[in-house]
Amino acid sequence: MIALLIETRNINEASTSQGRVKDISFEMLTLAHQISQQHNYPVIALVLSNNCQPIVDEIKQYCHEIICVEDNCLENFNTQIYQPILHQIISELKPTITMIGHSGFGTDLAPYLATTLGLPLITDVFDVELNSTLLVRRQMYGGKIIAEVISKMLPAMITVRAGSFEKITASPSVNLNLSAKVTKKPFTLDQTIFEKSKFLGYGEVPTTGIDITKADVIVAIGRGIKEQKNIPLIEQFANEIGGTLACTRPIIDAGWLPKDRQVGSSGKTVKPKLYIALGISGAFQHISGMKNSETIIAVNKDPEAPIFSVAHYGVVGDVLKIMPVLANKIKELKG
Amino acid sequence: MGVITISKEIRDTIIELGGTDAYKCYQCGMCTALCPWFLIDKVNFLVNRFPHNVKLGNIMASEVKEEIDQEVQELCRCVGCDSCLAYCPRGVNIGDIMRAIRRILIDYDALPKNLKDIATKIYSVGNPQGESAEKRNNWAKNLAVATYTSEMEYGYFACCLPAYDASVRKIAEATVKVLKSANVSFGLVKEDVWCCCETIRNFGAEKIFQDIAQNNIKALNQAGVTKLLVTSPHCYTTYKNEYPSDDIKFEVIHITQLFDKLIQEKKIVPSKPIKKKVVYHDPCTLGRQNNIYEEPRQILKSIPELELVEIENFNRKDSICCGAGSGGLWLDWQKGERLSDARIKQVIETGAEILAVACPYCLIMFDDSIKTMDVNLEVKDITELLAEAI
Amino acid sequence: MDIFVCLKMVPDTSETEVRVDSTGKDILKVRLLYTTNEADNYALETALLLKEQFGGTVTVISVGTQSVDEILKMALAKGADKAIRLTDDLFLNGDAWTVAYALYQAISKNKFDLVLTGCIATDDGNSQIGPMLAALLQIPSAAYVTKVEIINNTKAKVNRELEGGLLEIKEISLPALFTIQTGINTPRYPSIIGIKRASSKPFEVLNATQLNIDPNKLAALTEIRQLYQPKVEAKAQFITGSDDEISTKLAELIKEKVGL
Repeated sequence: MIALLIETRNINEASTSQGRVKDISFEMLTLAHQISQQHNYPVIALVLSNNCQPIVDEIKQYCHEIICVEDNCLENFNTQIYQPILHQIISELKPTITMIGHSGFGTDLAPYLATTLGLPLITDVFDVELNSTLLVRRQMYGGKIIAEVISKMLPAMITVRAGSFEKITASPSVNLNLSAKVTKKPFTLDQTIFEKSKFLGYGEVPTTGIDITKADVIVAIGRGIKEQKNIPLIEQFANEIGGTLACTRPIIDAGWLPKDRQVGSSGKTVKPKLYIALGISGAFQHISGMKNSETIIAVNKDPEAPIFSVAHYGVVGDVLKIMPVLANKIKELKG
Repeated sequence: MGVITISKEIRDTIIELGGTDAYKCYQCGMCTALCPWFLIDKVNFLVNRFPHNVKLGNIMASEVKEEIDQEVQELCRCVGCDSCLAYCPRGVNIGDIMRAIRRILIDYDALPKNLKDIATKIYSVGNPQGESAEKRNNWAKNLAVATYTSEMEYGYFACCLPAYDASVRKIAEATVKVLKSANVSFGLVKEDVWCCCETIRNFGAEKIFQDIAQNNIKALNQAGVTKLLVTSPHCYTTYKNEYPSDDIKFEVIHITQLFDKLIQEKKIVPSKPIKKKVVYHDPCTLGRQNNIYEEPRQILKSIPELELVEIENFNRKDSICCGAGSGGLWLDWQKGERLSDARIKQVIETGAEILAVACPYCLIMFDDSIKTMDVNLEVKDITELLAEAI
Repeated sequence: MDIFVCLKMVPDTSETEVRVDSTGKDILKVRLLYTTNEADNYALETALLLKEQFGGTVTVISVGTQSVDEILKMALAKGADKAIRLTDDLFLNGDAWTVAYALYQAISKNKFDLVLTGCIATDDGNSQIGPMLAALLQIPSAAYVTKVEIINNTKAKVNRELEGGLLEIKEISLPALFTIQTGINTPRYPSIIGIKRASSKPFEVLNATQLNIDPNKLAALTEIRQLYQPKVEAKAQFITGSDDEISTKLAELIKEKVGL
């Protein structure tokens, strides 16, 4: 049996187009079915919410069984409340593998829960093989090393890295129409738990303190953008692709962007999934701050620019001419 | 009235680590007046306070976070240019005092992270960029340069900056072009010769400096190098003045020394004119620290139609630092607080079209400055100019 | 307020190459410099700031060989009051569970209001020890904390970092454990006077026997089978054509890499 914790957006975040179930849950469903098909294990989803039905509707075609726990106290995620409930469920079910997303929720919950359950835990995994033992792959040393880690016993718990698997809805290999059996579980909670921890609300990271080191996509500008009035064009493009705007030191010096946007040895060191360098020649102080990005695209008019020595994809051309065209193409692709 | 208390422990620690010159100081203030930071309005850097505070043990003595942060920043400001030492009536080596203080700080992680990172990278892979040690000579892959063998005359070491940084690689490439044109017998020293560690020595990473110095000497001696040719004056001064001379079985030569000699011997004959007004900036490590003032100028004068001008009052012994010394290359002084900007302003006043340098550090700093200064000036290494003229 | 801060010594590999050694199970540990794990430094600073505000003591604790004294002494120099090093072969040959269990045994023998750890270690990237330790101590915890406010002796308010610039704000009763995210404050430098004072502060070294730990409890639950270096993508592939063609290719490339 494979169990996975379904993670949901809070009410404010969820829009009609998105639904409530987060991408990571659909990604874990893909992984769960990979294992399930090999071993003929049922896939069991655990849903904790104040209103389970909409969540069940979104996932029931992908699960053999859904275990729902419904109570007003489960409106918002809270490790101190989720943990004892999940502890009860998992210790009864004894799934071979329990999966939790390696998310803001998962990192808070999983190590606590695994410890009270006495389960081995391997966090932030991007690849899983289950034979007689559980073997997973995960990054170490900031992605410079990949580790194959085994659990010395089963059952075990893992947390799964976001983006490691395709969402089950998008996976062509899976054609599932399972119509899960839905079970509602009662639970008992020690009332003192509500004294221990109280959810107060969600907040937003203040925009003045944008942390470019945490961005998955960075669109960085250098002197090649020539004038401050060109920044909105780039910023709009960055927003379109879900990117964060960053820059080189000369842009900071000119006062066009605040200091916390600077990439380089005297600014921040970043390692996004995608780094787009626009009009950046690539002074070594800048390169040292971004060379380890997973994918680097550079646009610069000088074919000899040092930035091309670290870029994976290069375009020799005028940023200001290409950007409006590219921005349109992105809009087209997004439909 | 507060009474000054002397912290003997702090004082003795700094003295022990090489700060004895503090006792020579009689507080005349000459060093403060001569310090290049004195030229920058926004900065109030009182150099003479350091020997005084060492005597009192009043260094990093505060326990208020803001005061310590401020003090660390000031301790990083000294670029080790020796402008003060050149005129100090008591011969106080401020550089030694600053190194002694920083040696304590680096051991306790009390220097800015980007400086510590430089030390980590050099210790681990032998260059401040953190690139693979094996890739050190990759810059010359397409230039058909042999690796040094003992029958060659010169072993060439390009310095980490040109070797790994695409923006100043042109210095090393130009060097190869000039050496080949003059039929000089030379080869690249092998990749096991690492950074000279001048920078990290100056900001206090003494143990790593010693470790790598020994490694470099061993590698060069084993390769049988008799004449080590270097691009960077930082390597030059370190090999010449800081490495244990007894262990070194080779002569260290800066490229400007060799080029000047080859020009005199007519083995290099610059024939293509460069009809430009050129000013030469003396690097601290070549000029003040090693008295090499005329060779670079002779090279420039040998180029037809090149007009060499000087920065009035601030040339030769009185040149000011570009700001890159002692880790300055990696520190981020705000706009308006940069020595390189101050120097560029002096250069502009001469009406020069080209600023000629003889050091990769200076080239990077000045290149960086003119990007944000809206001036009509090119910065080039002497070697590049010479390569253009032959 | 009495605070325990767990510190880990890690090789500083952020700026250097990392290679695998001949056993294939560990990295090549030559020419590496060791330092306090980045997030742990922020945890220590959080503790020192709370001590400045509310008084009390800060105890730093680390599992390792004698070499970790370096980071413990540094923490004492910055203002921690006491250091504890847990040294035993049994602690060193385990996994996250082993270390969490050793820390639990040492910390639980003391009175404390707060335990702080870093949110992630730069070497293994596990993000496990903090909440594990909280579970063992049977106290509430919060991971990836970006703000700590002490309300009174029994309550704290924290902000936790979630995805997409979102924060979770919650109230937690004390004693509690928080794992601290980098950037929550600016870690201080030690003063030289602090460095000098550090040598006279209490420094305890404890092993499994002294802590009365059952060796069976320390057995690792997971194990590294092998390590390898990820394949590196080849360098710059140039995209050419008209601005329109280039843009089409770039847009597809962006879509492929990050989705839209």
